[in-house]
Amino acid sequence: MNTVSVIYFGQSAELTGLKGEELVSVPTPISSRELWELLQQRHPRLAVLRGHVVLAVAQQYIPIAEQLVVLRDGDEVAVVPPLSGG
Amino acid sequence: MTTFVFCSYILNYYFYYCGYFVTVIFLLVRFSRLTAMDNEMCSLKRQLEEKEKEIAALRSKLAARVEKASELKIQDKVTTLNPLTAKPSLSNEDIMRYSRQLLLPDLGVQGQLKLSQTSVLVVGCGGLGCPLAQYLAAAGIGRLGLLDYDEVELSNLHRQVLHGEENQGQAKALSAARSVIRLNSGVECIPYHLQLSPENALQLVQQYDIVADCSDNVPTRYLVNDACVLSGKPLVSASALRMEGQLTVYNYHGGPCYRCLYPVPPPPETVTNCSDGGVLGVVPGIMGCLQALEVLKIASGQGTACGQQLLLFDAQNARFRSIRLRPKQPSCVVCGEIPSVTRLVDYEAFCGSAATDKCRKLNLLSKDQRITVQDYKSIRDSTGPHILLDVRPLVEVEICSLPSSLNIPLSSLEEKKSKDIQLLQEKISQVKQQMAGDQQAPVYVVCKLGNDSQKAVQLLEKMSGEEVDGITVKDISGGLMAWAKMIDPSFPRY
Repeated sequence: MNTVSVIYFGQSAELTGLKGEELVSVPTPISSRELWELLQQRHPRLAVLRGHVVLAVAQQYIPIAEQLVVLRDGDEVAVVPPLSGG
Repeated sequence: MTTFVFCSYILNYYFYYCGYFVTVIFLLVRFSRLTAMDNEMCSLKRQLEEKEKEIAALRSKLAARVEKASELKIQDKVTTLNPLTAKPSLSNEDIMRYSRQLLLPDLGVQGQLKLSQTSVLVVGCGGLGCPLAQYLAAAGIGRLGLLDYDEVELSNLHRQVLHGEENQGQAKALSAARSVIRLNSGVECIPYHLQLSPENALQLVQQYDIVADCSDNVPTRYLVNDACVLSGKPLVSASALRMEGQLTVYNYHGGPCYRCLYPVPPPPETVTNCSDGGVLGVVPGIMGCLQALEVLKIASGQGTACGQQLLLFDAQNARFRSIRLRPKQPSCVVCGEIPSVTRLVDYEAFCGSAATDKCRKLNLLSKDQRITVQDYKSIRDSTGPHILLDVRPLVEVEICSLPSSLNIPLSSLEEKKSKDIQLLQEKISQVKQQMAGDQQAPVYVVCKLGNDSQKAVQLLEKMSGEEVDGITVKDISGGLMAWAKMIDPSFPRY
C-alpha cells in the first residue's frame, strides 16, 4: 500500500474538478486497468476519457491494460487527455 | 610752437598706422572666417553626398522588399514547387545576420547551410503557427509553406502575433507571410489560403521536409499525422489550451505516430477548443517557440529528444514534465506492420466533428422547444412573468449578461447542486405567484451560442415536477450572440 499523487491535465481536470490529489493506500503491484478503474470510481465522469487518454506513472507511459505496475511511495500518476487547440 | 607741430606730426602718423593695423586685422579675421565657412561647406557637401548614397541604398532595398512582398502570391490550391537550390556557402550578409547562432558549435556554418536548404510546412497560422513561423524565418529556414483557411479576426490578436489590427479580414496565410518577409526577405514564403483535406494533403506534405502541426482541431491532427506517415515526414506537433501545452515529435526515427498514442479519436463533446475554453496568448506562444526549436534541431541535423517523449507544460505552476512514450506500435493502423490505412480517409467522419475550431451547432431540441431572439424580445417587452436562466459559467457572465437573468451554470445543473436547485425553485415560486391560475412558470434558457442552453432544456424537462415545480422550458436559439447581432448591437460579443 502506497501513497501516490495524481495530476489531472486538460479535460480530466475539468471532469474531476481537481488539478491533483493524493491517493492513499493504493495496492501495488496493480494492473494499469485497475489503476484507471480506481480513478474512475472516485470520479465517474472520467469514464468518457477511457481509451482516449495517456496514463503515466513516474513520467513513463502506461497503456491501460493488464500489465502490472509497481507503485512506489510518492510516485506521480498523470492523466493526460490530448489537447487539440492551437 | 615747433614742439607742438612736431607732436601733432607724430600723433598723425600714430593714428595713420593704427588705422592701417585695424584694417589689416579686420581683413585677416574676415579671411579666416571665409576659410572656415569654406571648410564647413565642403564637409556638409560630403555629408550630403554620403546621405544621398545611403538613401539610394535604402531605396533599392525597399524596392527589393516591395518586389518580394508583391511576389507573395496567395495559393488557393496546391501547386508543384521547384526544389530548393543548395547554397554552396554563406554570403557576407548571411554571416553578419546569423553570426550569433553561427557561433554555436551545435549549429555552425554547416547547420546554417542545412537550414537554408530545408522546407517546412506550417499547418495553421494561429497561436502556435505565428511564433513558430517567426522564429523559423528569423533563423534562416529555406522555405516556409504557411497554410490557413481562415481570416484574421480581432479576437485572434492576443495570441496570433504575426497579424496586426490592419490585417483584420485578410487571409491569415497572407498576413503571416507578409510579416515573415518583413523580418527576413531571404526566406521563401508560400501562403496557402485553403483547407487541408484528404484530397490535397499528400501532394502538399510530400513537397516539404518537415511538417509542423499548429492546427486547432482533432480531424486535422489525424489527417496531418496520416499524411506524414504515408509520406515519411517528421511531424513536429504542439497544442495549447487555457494554461496548458503539449509537444511531441511524431513519426521520427522509430518513434510513435499520433495514432500509436491515440488510436481512437475522443468523442467530440469531450473536446474543448480555444473559442470555448479560452487560452492565455503566451501559452501557445511558448509552445510554438518550443516547436520551432525542435524543427530547427531536426533541420540542422542535431536531431530531437522529443521523438519518443510527450512534453507537458503547466503554465499555472510554471512546470514542465516529460513523459517517456512507447516506440511505434506494430499494431498501429497507419504506421504499424500491417497497416490498414494506406491512403487518406474522411477524417471528419472518423472523428465525428468538423475540421475547424469554430463552435459546432447542436440540434438537440424540436422546433416547439426553442424560441428565436425576436420572440424573446417580445416576451421581455410585454413584461410577462418568466425566468431567464443563463447557464453559462460565471467567468462568462462576468463579461456580459442580460439584466434580471438568473445564473446557474450548466455544470451545476448537471451535478444537481442543491444550493442552485433551491435558488431555481425559489424563483419559480415567485413567478408562479405573479401568474394567474395554476399555470406552469415559463423558463427561457440562454447561453452564448445556443448549444449548452439546449442541453439545459433537456435536463430541466426531466427535473420539472420532480426536483422543481412544473415548468415550461424553452431555449433561446442562437443565444446571447444572436441577441447581440439581431436585437441589441450594443451588447458585447466575445
